Amino acid sequence: MRHTRPAAVVLALTLLLTACSSGGQQPAAVGRPVSGGSLTWAVEIEPITFNPHQYAQAKARLLVWNTFEALLGHDSQGGLVPWLSTGHQVSADGMTYTFALRTDVTFTDGTKFDAAAVKANIDQFFVEGYNPAVLAVQLRNLDRVEVVDPATVAFHLRQPDVLLLDFLSSPQGAQVSPKSLKEAKNLKAGGPELAGTGPFILDRYTAGQEVHFTKNAAYNWAPANAGHSGAAYLDEITYRFLKESSVRVGALTSGQVQVIEGVPATDEPLITANPQLSLSLSRGLNSGSAYSYYFNTTHAPFDDIRVRRAFREAVDVDAVLTGVYRGSATRAWSVIGPTSPFYDKTLEKTYGGDAAEANKLLDEAGWTARDADGFRTKDGKRLTVRLVQSAPFVRDRRDVLAQAVQAQVKQSAGIDLNIAVVDQGTATQALADGQYEVFDNSRADTDAGAALNLLLHSGGAINRTGFTDPALDKLLEQGRAGTDQAQRQAVYQRVQKLAITDQALILPLYAPADQIAASRAVGGLGFEPTAGVPGSAYHLWVSK
Amino acid sequence: MTRAIARRIASGAVVLWAAATAAYLALLAAPGDIVDSLIGDGADTPQVRAQIIAEWNLDRPAVVQYLDYLWRAAQGDLGRSYLLQRPVGEVIGDQLPPTLRLAVAAAAFGVVLALVLAVTTRRRWVRGVSSTAELIIVSTPPFLIGIVLLSVFSFRFGIFPVSGDQSWAALVLPAVTLGLPIAGVLAQVLRDGLDRALDEPFAVTARARGLTERAVLVRHALRHALIPAVTVLGWLTGVLLGGAVIIEQVFGRPGLGQVTLQAVGNGDMPVVLAVVVLAAAVFVVINTAADLAYLLIDPRLRRTTS
Repeated sequence: MRHTRPAAVVLALTLLLTACSSGGQQPAAVGRPVSGGSLTWAVEIEPITFNPHQYAQAKARLLVWNTFEALLGHDSQGGLVPWLSTGHQVSADGMTYTFALRTDVTFTDGTKFDAAAVKANIDQFFVEGYNPAVLAVQLRNLDRVEVVDPATVAFHLRQPDVLLLDFLSSPQGAQVSPKSLKEAKNLKAGGPELAGTGPFILDRYTAGQEVHFTKNAAYNWAPANAGHSGAAYLDEITYRFLKESSVRVGALTSGQVQVIEGVPATDEPLITANPQLSLSLSRGLNSGSAYSYYFNTTHAPFDDIRVRRAFREAVDVDAVLTGVYRGSATRAWSVIGPTSPFYDKTLEKTYGGDAAEANKLLDEAGWTARDADGFRTKDGKRLTVRLVQSAPFVRDRRDVLAQAVQAQVKQSAGIDLNIAVVDQGTATQALADGQYEVFDNSRADTDAGAALNLLLHSGGAINRTGFTDPALDKLLEQGRAGTDQAQRQAVYQRVQKLAITDQALILPLYAPADQIAASRAVGGLGFEPTAGVPGSAYHLWVSK
Repeated sequence: MTRAIARRIASGAVVLWAAATAAYLALLAAPGDIVDSLIGDGADTPQVRAQIIAEWNLDRPAVVQYLDYLWRAAQGDLGRSYLLQRPVGEVIGDQLPPTLRLAVAAAAFGVVLALVLAVTTRRRWVRGVSSTAELIIVSTPPFLIGIVLLSVFSFRFGIFPVSGDQSWAALVLPAVTLGLPIAGVLAQVLRDGLDRALDEPFAVTARARGLTERAVLVRHALRHALIPAVTVLGWLTGVLLGGAVIIEQVFGRPGLGQVTLQAVGNGDMPVVLAVVVLAAAVFVVINTAADLAYLLIDPRLRRTTS
């Protein structure tokens, strides 16, 4: 007994520590993995396309990696690891990226994976209308792809761009069989007619209902950090599209599906407070940018930095998050998500939640009078700021969150936050016409730098703050061009300090997360390293 | 007779054209343009815009696009979905059968339940109870009915599966959810009709001939009560199509409802137009069937129309 007790404590501590460091990657350890069996998983979103090159929904990412693979994968520290490649080299001038490819990989339609296949995939993006957004952003600096020999491929750039590597590890950079690219009838829609190299084969898609995968028995090229090798454990897996969260939870608790993702905070007690159901719940923080409010600096009142600061001080983010998400949300302090290697931890607790300061700043800015409703005014004009949300993109109860912020800024500082949840067309129009003062957004890019280029660069496609600063642009360009991780880290720290502390352009709110709930009979559940979204089915198994 | 049929077909074609045109104008008038919708919250650069415009020929004047659409639709080419990147005919063709199954099952359930309710609840207090229950069902959102039915019969007792279109068992709960409000309205209409018919002289005559009350009800009065019920058939089509949008979402069923919702939200013009034209076509067919049903139910109408 004397010996077992410390041992037990050590074991418990180890479990606790591993659970923390891995972000709760293995929630339901049920012995050793076994092969065989099938599984049904209820997902929230039905992908609008199964062609990885057209990928645009973070919620569809877990499906992509079942059928397709990329040249590079991620480790849990945000670094890159070889996947369909065996290594890569960057020329001294940063203009040429040369990849050595695996030679033992075959697409599920029998086509060999080689340098010509990689070239065919990239060349496909240069077909007019195939995916102009990727061409304009991720492949902006790519000049051409060269087949050096069957096992070597070189990417020649027009100017140094380290984000090429992020692209080659993203779903859009996934490798599709060149035969499919040539022959598929509905190439952009994807589906069973597109062959990949992944551990599963998409063999049946019933729109509005489910998508079904069977094991790729020939699969034997898992990346080194996958944890196991050879074919997947499961023989088949079905993902059912259940858009209503209460229906997903009901389907799980009644045993009709074994795994669900997308568990709202309000439904968590149904799963955690019911021990006889043998369910487990785990959460993974997403990569990319935090869900934040961006202040439109192009016109009043947020052209005045004091008003921007005041808005931030007027919101007690912790109280708002607790109210809306019951403690299940992780507060964000920077525009970059807390799991990114570029995240600047020193920003934490440096601002926010000081109503007295908010009122002082607004007084200084001239918003001194109050109208009958208690809102501040200046020259007879009410301090109104508008947030326009596009209904199709409202998730995680962000509309409710906005209402909580609305109540806070009204009460603590007399700011009138006007919220409109509208259709996509109306939202785009409002943004194009500058008819907004607050813009909300989160992005799931695996390299946070990719998100910052779009959000903060003066030429960024979604720069909604309208803030332009040559120094900031220069920093972002350095971050894009640099291949040295430590140097990029330093650059992005300066970017965050400039945007968050010096200019108060952004109010970061929370770090988007994904939740998985599952029957304890399911093993191998976890989140994709770095991206933080539910992982592919390669690791999953069912105990018999 | 052939002239009557020709007139029907011509007026049907006009309805289809009017429906397509109205939907086209409505989408045109909606804020934001198609390029905005296609970009979504993705990268918005001039090159991206130019490519999308080129891909879908959106640089032509709206009138030209409209005429081109009509011309191709008349030849059976409904175009490609902007969002799903597949031919619209294929998208609709895939999703039509499950919706049809749901609609037919729901309509059958609703009609049968309404007939049973109207005929069996003649006693004062029973009809009071039934009538109140019908009103409650009609005023409850189908979404809620679906969730309640799911919680009880699927999550609690596991009798029916929650989702999909794999088996007849999976059709039961959605069909009941969609059919209940139909039964509620139809039962009220039928009951009113029965009340009126039973007050008419022919009912007195029938009773005088020694028929039982039940025989008077089923053989004579019901026929009269059916006329107003048939009139609401057109309304029924609307309820079935509109209801399918919600029911399919709650039950994770494939079908046109989901496709329509997504297409409207994303300004997927070709799909929206195809759905509108399809709905209009169904409407025309149902109304024609209703007109024929009048003749079948009421012999007096046959004499006057010839």
